[in-house]
Amino acid sequence: METILSVRALRKSYGAFEALRGVSLDFHSGEFVVVVGPSGAGKSTLIRCINRMIDPSSGGIEFDGVRLERARGAELRKRRAKIGMIFQHYNLIGRTNVIKNVLHGRLGHMPFIKSLFGLYSMADRLRAVALLEEIGLLEQKYKRADELSGGQMQRVGICRALMQEPRLLLADEPIASLDPRSAETVMNHLKRMTEQRGICCIVNLHQVDFARRYASRIIGVKSGAVVFDGKPEEFTADMARAIYEGGEADPLRGAAGDSVSDGTDYIEAAATPGGEYAAV
Amino acid sequence: MRLSDKSRVKNAAAALGLIAVIVAAFTYLKVNPRDILLAVPRFAGFFVRNFLPPDFSSLASYIPLIAETIFFALAGTCVSSLLALVFGFLISERTNSIAPLRHTARVVASVFRNIPVMVWAALLVYIFGIGSLVGLCALVLGTLGLLARSYAESADGIPAGKAEALRACGASYPQILFHGLLPEFIPSWVNWTLFSLEINIRASVILGMVGAGGIGIMVQTNLRLFKYAEAMSLIIVLTAMILLTELAVNQIRRRLK
Repeated sequence: METILSVRALRKSYGAFEALRGVSLDFHSGEFVVVVGPSGAGKSTLIRCINRMIDPSSGGIEFDGVRLERARGAELRKRRAKIGMIFQHYNLIGRTNVIKNVLHGRLGHMPFIKSLFGLYSMADRLRAVALLEEIGLLEQKYKRADELSGGQMQRVGICRALMQEPRLLLADEPIASLDPRSAETVMNHLKRMTEQRGICCIVNLHQVDFARRYASRIIGVKSGAVVFDGKPEEFTADMARAIYEGGEADPLRGAAGDSVSDGTDYIEAAATPGGEYAAV
Repeated sequence: MRLSDKSRVKNAAAALGLIAVIVAAFTYLKVNPRDILLAVPRFAGFFVRNFLPPDFSSLASYIPLIAETIFFALAGTCVSSLLALVFGFLISERTNSIAPLRHTARVVASVFRNIPVMVWAALLVYIFGIGSLVGLCALVLGTLGLLARSYAESADGIPAGKAEALRACGASYPQILFHGLLPEFIPSWVNWTLFSLEINIRASVILGMVGAGGIGIMVQTNLRLFKYAEAMSLIIVLTAMILLTELAVNQIRRRLK
């Protein structure tokens, strides 16, 4: 298995609060890694530091032989274009139709003027259609994205990410807002489609049962540090309890308050002056 | 709901204070409310005798000026909505990450917003003299601040995740703007622009009164020449025009999703 992503001594602090306290991990192509841990443990921060949606405070990220933490501007965009991402709230452009949302995955691969006039190549269009067919949404391709159900939106999200032809796919709580049946459908598609393409997939989940069922490797995170890294069958019930219990009593979390939770920290980071498009 | 004694005393004090201010205003202006009431029949009589029936005989000659007024409002709204779009995106956190620039744009827009159209018109007429372009400029400047502020607030209302998703695809800033933010922004853009069209139609009618072009000047002239019946016909036409605009705008709003 080829190592495609190496994270070294990754740290991220928000003021006095340390969201990540020196995380070092290697990821390989074809892996389906599920990161588990209570909210506020740093799962989201970890995933967002990888594609630099959040800038880490220190540490190294090597993706595809390139040091991402040093990349800027066009170079960073080029690297990001090779990393797909899907989100808890899908983040589709609601007033735009499904197929265009999928084609957005090509934006990083084309110049502005071409994208402005929607001049996607025929090959891209055909691939978008093929992806939608594969995920069972071909009939919805001209529907506005905001007319879809949550599960359908997330499937469009997967298509958008795969449209990038990524070598790495990051999924931040992809099923946290879905009902159990849609959650299962989404996880099945995600697992199958990334496996077939040999993509490394890193998924944040807080449902331990889902983690055990889908993961080829589980990483347990607690208070910004990796406390478990191994096969799903090694991830015992005791281990799960140890990761999830005592979270509330942890002095670090208490000090940070609830505002720096997994779900909101990236929004705060985006709202920071200079944070949002600093790379552009 | 029962109020506590403390808040009851507070409310009573506030009511007393308000009454005192109103009485003081009337006293200072030496206006007796009784005089106002007694003047109503006199006013109504004058109105009925002089203004009615409206004289529509020379209405045809006013049509070019009425058209000019409407085109003023349309052109003014168009120009100010485009300028305000740039301004609004400079003010919004979603679209502009440079804080000093954001704050400067916000201050400029606030200043513009607090200067009424008529003040702009009077000022511009004083500087550039009587003319149509002056009226157009006044309309643009008068609604620019309001629109910029409203656009910015609408843009801020777009969830941060939308832009984030495209950023994660490797999209550049202009791509995020055009593919992510603009589509989400269009409904509020149309809504606020229609709102400013309504304001501009009303404003462009009075603009003429300070010599800034449009039909207003003829209302003024007719009144000064004691041609009340003719002025009345114009007032009726203008009111109908404003009502029709409102109606049309509401129709468009209803259809917009």
